Amino acid sequence: MSTVAPPTVAAAAVDAYKIYGTKDSEVRALDGVTISFEAGRFTAIMGPSGSGKSTLMHCLAGLDDLTSGSVRIGDDDLASLSDRQLTSLRREKVGFIFQAYNLIPTLTALENITLPLDLGKSDRDQAWIDTVIDAVNLRDRLGHRPSELSGGQQQRVAVARALASKPHIIFADEPTGNLDSRTGAEILTFMKRAVSELGQTIVMVTHDPVAAAYADRVVFLADGKVVDEMVEPTADRVLDRMKKFGS
Amino acid sequence: MARPVVRLTIRGVLARKFRILLTTLAVVSGVAFVSGAFILTDSVKKSINDLFAVLSEGIDLEVRSVVAFGDPARADRDPIPAELVDSIAAVDGVRLAEGNLLRAATVIKSDGEPLATSGPSFGIAWTGPDGLDGRTLIEGRAATADSEVTLDKSSARRAGHEIGDVITIVGPKGKGDFTLVGLTGTGDTDGGGGASIAAFDPATADAFLGANGLVDSIYIAITDDASLTTVQDELNSVLPSNVEVITGEQSAQETAGAINDIIGIFGNVLLGFAAVSLFVSAFLIFNTFAIIVSQRLRELALLRAVGASVRQIRSMIIGESLIVSVLATVLGIFAGMGVAVGIVALFNATGAAFPSASLIVSFRTVLVSILVGVGVTVAAAIIPALRAGRIPPVAAMRPELGFSALQKNRRLVVGSAVFGLGLLAFASGIAVQPGGAAGTLGLAGLGAVLLFLGIASLSTTVAAPASRLISRLLPLPFFPMTRSVAGRLGSRNAQRTPRRTASTASALMIGLALVSTVAVIASSIQKTFRDQISTSVSADFFITNGPANFQGLPPSFAERLAELPELSAVSPFRGADVLVNGDPKEVGAVRGSAFGELVDLDLLDGSVESLDDGRILLHRDPATDYGVGVGDELTITWQNGTESVVQVGGIYADSTIAGNWLVGLDLLASVSTAEPVDFFIGAKIADGVEIPVARAAVESIAEDFPSAEVQDQAEFQQSQEDQIDQLLTIIYGLLAISIAIAVLGIANTMALSVFERTREFGLLRAVGMSKRVLKRSIRWEAIIVAVFGASLGVVVGVPLGAAVASVLPDTVITTIVVPYGTIVNILIAAVVVGIVAAIGPARRAAKLDVLQSISSN
Repeated sequence: MSTVAPPTVAAAAVDAYKIYGTKDSEVRALDGVTISFEAGRFTAIMGPSGSGKSTLMHCLAGLDDLTSGSVRIGDDDLASLSDRQLTSLRREKVGFIFQAYNLIPTLTALENITLPLDLGKSDRDQAWIDTVIDAVNLRDRLGHRPSELSGGQQQRVAVARALASKPHIIFADEPTGNLDSRTGAEILTFMKRAVSELGQTIVMVTHDPVAAAYADRVVFLADGKVVDEMVEPTADRVLDRMKKFGS
Repeated sequence: MARPVVRLTIRGVLARKFRILLTTLAVVSGVAFVSGAFILTDSVKKSINDLFAVLSEGIDLEVRSVVAFGDPARADRDPIPAELVDSIAAVDGVRLAEGNLLRAATVIKSDGEPLATSGPSFGIAWTGPDGLDGRTLIEGRAATADSEVTLDKSSARRAGHEIGDVITIVGPKGKGDFTLVGLTGTGDTDGGGGASIAAFDPATADAFLGANGLVDSIYIAITDDASLTTVQDELNSVLPSNVEVITGEQSAQETAGAINDIIGIFGNVLLGFAAVSLFVSAFLIFNTFAIIVSQRLRELALLRAVGASVRQIRSMIIGESLIVSVLATVLGIFAGMGVAVGIVALFNATGAAFPSASLIVSFRTVLVSILVGVGVTVAAAIIPALRAGRIPPVAAMRPELGFSALQKNRRLVVGSAVFGLGLLAFASGIAVQPGGAAGTLGLAGLGAVLLFLGIASLSTTVAAPASRLISRLLPLPFFPMTRSVAGRLGSRNAQRTPRRTASTASALMIGLALVSTVAVIASSIQKTFRDQISTSVSADFFITNGPANFQGLPPSFAERLAELPELSAVSPFRGADVLVNGDPKEVGAVRGSAFGELVDLDLLDGSVESLDDGRILLHRDPATDYGVGVGDELTITWQNGTESVVQVGGIYADSTIAGNWLVGLDLLASVSTAEPVDFFIGAKIADGVEIPVARAAVESIAEDFPSAEVQDQAEFQQSQEDQIDQLLTIIYGLLAISIAIAVLGIANTMALSVFERTREFGLLRAVGMSKRVLKRSIRWEAIIVAVFGASLGVVVGVPLGAAVASVLPDTVITTIVVPYGTIVNILIAAVVVGIVAAIGPARRAAKLDVLQSISSN
């Protein structure tokens, strides 16, 4: 229903280092990561605990800053942006889907979805919002508060919110971590459709091979470095690759 | 752009209704006191002005003696001859002239006790409702014979008298029995505006009130066709030069003005306590918002992550405080009307009979209430709002990063600086005393506020160790609370958020610090007074006019006492305002032959007896100031304008009782014909007379003056201390409001902490902790916070009190006393405060469902 975006780079990290602590107790969360994410694709970042996958995502999204190296979203070099510019970048060009508890409890589902738009000055594209709402199948739940929604419904609201501003790129942090497998599958299907049908770009951090299998491409991280990647993954292949980290 | 912020703000408030309501309540009381003080003073002033306007409605002009200096309404004026009435009546254009006579006269109730009033007790000359005095006749008729009297209806009711009763009234010369023939009112009230009014016909008044053919002033009404200024000029040319003619309007304004001043002072006292309770509320508001911000950390970070700017986050928090403040201000103004009505009712219950007036809520009242209510609330929320803005977006996923952002501050540096500045301002305020009383109070007050803020900020550093110490010492050092699981848990919880513990405790600190300050000053005054009485007073009896009546004693009392053979020395003490070499001073007038035996003046030179030769005695300090010694001369100007050149007859060193200046009774009587009143009478028992015999003799004369109180040294001392204690009770009562706000604050913090620790409590219950133990641990925590606050209060308040006491003059305080009893009481009260504050939160914690609590996040 939408034209597939040309293979431009939606986000990229070059020589990214993130070092916590001082010399003796130095922890290299990112140890020279260079990676780019093409627009219109669904990428999964995988790796064992402590591999730096969450840190990479936080830095890519402008939530955290690098020790050295650079990160770009579209044409913007994040290091050169002021806090105010970063704020509007997050509002207009980046969408987020967190693990859980990521809705404002005092706002209704619809208000949560349109929150990034309302926070900014930009005109809302009502047709697009309707498309998104129908895509996540929430039409009859719009007036409810988060506490009145199930976990899966809450996460669908979160997905819709991430899509609402038609961002350059959406970052998802373990979006199915708190859901049962059936609801999780439902969310992942929505995300896959958002990429294939609505032309969105999604980068997802996960440790679940089944979730990663929904992506177009999987990037493997270990000890702060990119160690491997896989195109057109299946759950079994991803699982096999992950098993190697253990040994 | 503003829309989602507004929406989030409103929803944020609605989601925390109970919390917000509690916070609102704290502000309401402060605003209520501010608006109440204004409403009360505005309304009462208006009604009193109206009352005097009614009273003087028929009076066009008033003739009275002139005074040389001083406040026109309160000056002691010489009475003028009643015969002037005739010469005034003869002047062209005068329709009616009547003498106005007003003297102290106490009504005796049907049970034999003197009637207590909140104002003075007056006996007056009254020609009836057709005369110029604006008194109204409610029942019966005016007194026309020498055995008749009327009373204001309110006093008659409270004294238990009805028309036809024979009632006893005590005038300046003694008791008299009269038949009550009528009940009067003032304006549209049935009282005397706080005074009791016994009205006699003019001849009876002259005799019974001891006026000797004199009147206080003369009221004049002019004919319809006469011009006020023409008549005024004409009168001025006819009358002697020592009287003046003023308009009735001016006279009414002067009298009302004097009363308005007193009401103004009362209003200012209320405003002072309003400031204290607002200050305490600010802590509660600050605390609530600080806790709310930290509890909403993830939510605020999420908003930042999805694109809310720092400004939007800050606007949200400030917006919430704005909603609280507007709500509180509106409620506060209404509550202020309640405060005003309540205080008027309280005064009326004690017989003040304030004229019934509608409440005046002026624009100024509303404006000040809004400024104060909104200002204090929003100011208190600024720091939490700034902190909220510092929460990084990444905290939405990693809350621990958010906490460190919230903790970051320069507390120690800022706290120390504010503390130092406060100390400096306070010290220079009370030591240098710039700009008189206003400057001293202002600077010292500002200093105290800064001191409190500084200590509140610094106390975070000691909150944890202090909590540990308190938990080792409570309930008893040999059985500390740390012995029990509940006690240990409470103690650890108090230590784990030192900032919260400290700011919650600080709110309690302020009220209790002021209590300690006042307690130190009061007990020092009492101790000093006790010492002074024992060293400088040798009189055996003191006769005062009792606490029910502050008008002093009629001079005839002392004259009759002086005739008693059982007493060897009797002297009254009366006062007069004079100019000494042109400077306004208060002099005391005593009997020189007796005073030296009653009071030890510590005479350095001359003799006390020289007072009876028309000389003046003075304290060594003014003697140094004026460079005079015995035999030198001083020029005294009396209030009626008479000047006397007086020789110094002695210099003394102890001014405790005597004050700085003393003259003889005869000198005062020779220059002033104003009706004298005695503040007190001192008497010494003659040699060889048994104490009970002497006392019986004194009491027999006192029977004619039922409001007088005869006291020996110990009783006199006790009654003076009782008066200070009464004042203390009122001050403590008003400070109790700020302490109540602090209790609310502790309860609030505890409730928020319980909410925060839901999961933890669930765990504790899951591993087998009983509801009782859980409740007990919360109670211990609240007790620790309260005792910490009280200790801070004592530690701050006692030195403050000592500092104030040390700069007060020696006549007031020579010895500084720390009231250990009061301090122990404060600490015990703190434990009670903790227990009370923990009731709600503990109950709530015990109600938590174990399973749900564990699964909550």
